[in-house]
Amino acid sequence: MNDIGIALELKGVSKSYPGTLAVDRVDLAVRTGEVHALIGENGAGKSTLMKIIAGSFDDYTGEVFVGSKNIQLHTPAAARAVGIAMIHQELSLAAPLNIAENILAGRLPARRGIVDRGLMLKDARRWMGLVGLANLDPLTAVETISPHEAQLVEIAKALANRPCILVMDEPTSALSREEVQHLFTVIRRLRRDGLAIIYISHHLPEILEIADRVTVMRDGRKVGTHSIPDVSELQLAEMMIGGAVSDLYAKRRMQPFEERFVVKGITRYGFFHDVSFSIRAGEILGLAGLSGSGRSELARSLCGIDPMDKGSIALSGKPLRFRNYGHAVSEGVVYVPEDRKAQGIALRLSVRENALSAIIPRHSLHGIYSAARGSNLLQGLLRQLEIVPPDPKRIAGTLSGGNQQKVLLAKWFATQPEVLVLDEPTRGVDVGAKVLIHKAIAEIADSGKCVLLISSDLPELVGLSDRIIVMCKGHVIGEMDKARATETSVLLAANGERGALSA
Amino acid sequence: MKGKERLHGILNTLGVYVLVLALFAVGCLLSQEFFTEKNLLNTLGAVALLGIVAVGVAFVTYSQHYLDLSIPGIMALSGIIAVSALPYGFMASLTAGIAVGVTIGLVNGLVVGYLRLNPIIWTLAMMSVLSGVIRKVYAGRQVYPDEATAAGRAFLDLYHTEIFGWLPLPIALLAFIAAAGTVIMWKSGFGARLKLTGSSYEVARMTGVHVPRTVMTAFVICSVSSSIAGILLTSFNRVGAQYIGKGYDFDAITAVVIGGMTLTGGRGSVPGVVGGVIVIALLNNIMSLVKIGDFTIGSFEKTIIQGAIFILVVGINSYVQRTSGLDDA
Repeated sequence: MNDIGIALELKGVSKSYPGTLAVDRVDLAVRTGEVHALIGENGAGKSTLMKIIAGSFDDYTGEVFVGSKNIQLHTPAAARAVGIAMIHQELSLAAPLNIAENILAGRLPARRGIVDRGLMLKDARRWMGLVGLANLDPLTAVETISPHEAQLVEIAKALANRPCILVMDEPTSALSREEVQHLFTVIRRLRRDGLAIIYISHHLPEILEIADRVTVMRDGRKVGTHSIPDVSELQLAEMMIGGAVSDLYAKRRMQPFEERFVVKGITRYGFFHDVSFSIRAGEILGLAGLSGSGRSELARSLCGIDPMDKGSIALSGKPLRFRNYGHAVSEGVVYVPEDRKAQGIALRLSVRENALSAIIPRHSLHGIYSAARGSNLLQGLLRQLEIVPPDPKRIAGTLSGGNQQKVLLAKWFATQPEVLVLDEPTRGVDVGAKVLIHKAIAEIADSGKCVLLISSDLPELVGLSDRIIVMCKGHVIGEMDKARATETSVLLAANGERGALSA
Repeated sequence: MKGKERLHGILNTLGVYVLVLALFAVGCLLSQEFFTEKNLLNTLGAVALLGIVAVGVAFVTYSQHYLDLSIPGIMALSGIIAVSALPYGFMASLTAGIAVGVTIGLVNGLVVGYLRLNPIIWTLAMMSVLSGVIRKVYAGRQVYPDEATAAGRAFLDLYHTEIFGWLPLPIALLAFIAAAGTVIMWKSGFGARLKLTGSSYEVARMTGVHVPRTVMTAFVICSVSSSIAGILLTSFNRVGAQYIGKGYDFDAITAVVIGGMTLTGGRGSVPGVVGGVIVIALLNNIMSLVKIGDFTIGSFEKTIIQGAIFILVVGINSYVQRTSGLDDA
């Protein structure tokens, strides 16, 4: 890097909550024109650090320099004034408004109180061009565009503030592989224009691809800052969890049993067509596909959540026709949704209420329900999944993301399913939780159950699955066994290259 | 954060009874007539019907569907149909009255639960339809139980029945319905599913809960308890008329909210709601005991005070939830 001007420097910054030191004397220097990744497990303090930078706290200690000037970031307005812009994980766009109004929110060009439409469109187009959205009409309502486009609009909105430091929190968590590539192109262009970008992510391969340097945090402290070419994924993972990661992917005891779950020619018009496959007892079947390939829709129809138009399903030779999802659950076919917060667990209920919520009928006698009947089961699950803290009364929403995900898994493990359909089981969780979840999935398969694993995380899909079927545009285009499946071949196949299947 | 959570928990379950005790003390200070068996029974009797409605509304509120605005219509129509069915006998009359509640509850539940129409808008429309139907069919006439028949006399005596010779039927029914409601909400499988539905609709759906049926059941419980109250109120007023039950919708939701049930669903309890009903009763009683010179609190002022209390409680509740982070993050 030729330009080593420092855009943002933190010196000995600390922030404590009552009882815990969330950020402990952290030094961080972000250069202009670099993508600086910030990684750490959930609870490592990176969100708190970002909130400090965004001006959310007026009681942090330590010094912050922006462009070598000592600045106090005590309010969000102060952070904005020195050119710091944040892009949050949850998008902050007003859905009914159009793209232009969102990008220029709060500073629409106006003359005597009347919005100057021409100027607004011109302005909006300029920012949209910067993020590669030139092909979109600025008057499109935000609620009608894809999550990927919304993410880019969010960036355009931040850029319209003309920041010199851009903070991105998990910007790729809702994006498919090729959308991520597009986003990276935009990020690289912004970097070339001299923007300092702080990039927070759980996704190590992405960081290796896009970042120039990476700072690792653990337990509120900075572990170190490294240049990207000097570190490997494994080294980063070890720094994050503070020990050696012996094997990111749990070893499987591969023993092909008889076919247990057989799906023949199922179709839901417009979503997926004539899909057939089978899962053997004790097998993890991976389902690869880009977002929009119909994989989640397939999973939901399999479990009776959405309807299907044609085809048959059989479990242990017994044909099944689900009236509704509750029926599927009682037959042992369950779906673990990808959207933990909206569909997975009720954040304001306790860990116990969540973990036992799928088996209420089993703990009811003559209509009278007793959660106490499930306490042994619950204790076992808390132990198996190492949920921290192991307190059944704790409100689920107060747990870290990784532990919430474990509660979601516990809820479905509690049903003792025959067929477990997992949709993105480790999205947005830290490395430690991920390893545990992988272990738990392998264990449930080893106990003779069928697992259908949907994941965009290719190393996870390839590492965990015994066999992978590939979906593309609503059709299953092929199958790969463990020996042949590599991240590259799966990715190529998911993009529709049939050649990758036979290679 | 921890402290606030605990405070909120305590406020939710016990807070309303602290308020009950405080009002009791105020009542005792204000007047010697307050702490007499007669006054207390009268006070409770005056809100027993409201209590029955409020316990029903609690199920709708708990399911995150706010409240059923067609309650006054259900009460009026139940009373009118019960009176109209009196020629077929007393039991037939009660059955017909409650059947009205079941039917309207099913319709509300089907539309709100299965078709997912906004509960406020739908039940408001239902209210309009019901009052129109009553006016049309009965052409503005009121229906009177016929005192010449045994069934008519039994109907008129219904409200004034005293169990064991001292306990008024409405209070006994409230106690029974509240106890049943408590068991259903806390101890039944339906109650557990309702809590999940009220806490997060999508999560309940993706858990395999039959959400439409659960919501429908809540509406049926609400309208059946409303029709029970409607029949008793008709018996008390000795007339079935379109205005019977007016204002019970807002009174009931006030009691539910004072009782610690949040409008966002999934939180609160039936004992709390009963506490809320008692608070309203004591407030009414105390307000009528207040005499400062020429100044007394009339019914208009009471309505204003009740409205203000409702706003205050809802405001405090949502503030505490927001600041303690219990609002869904």
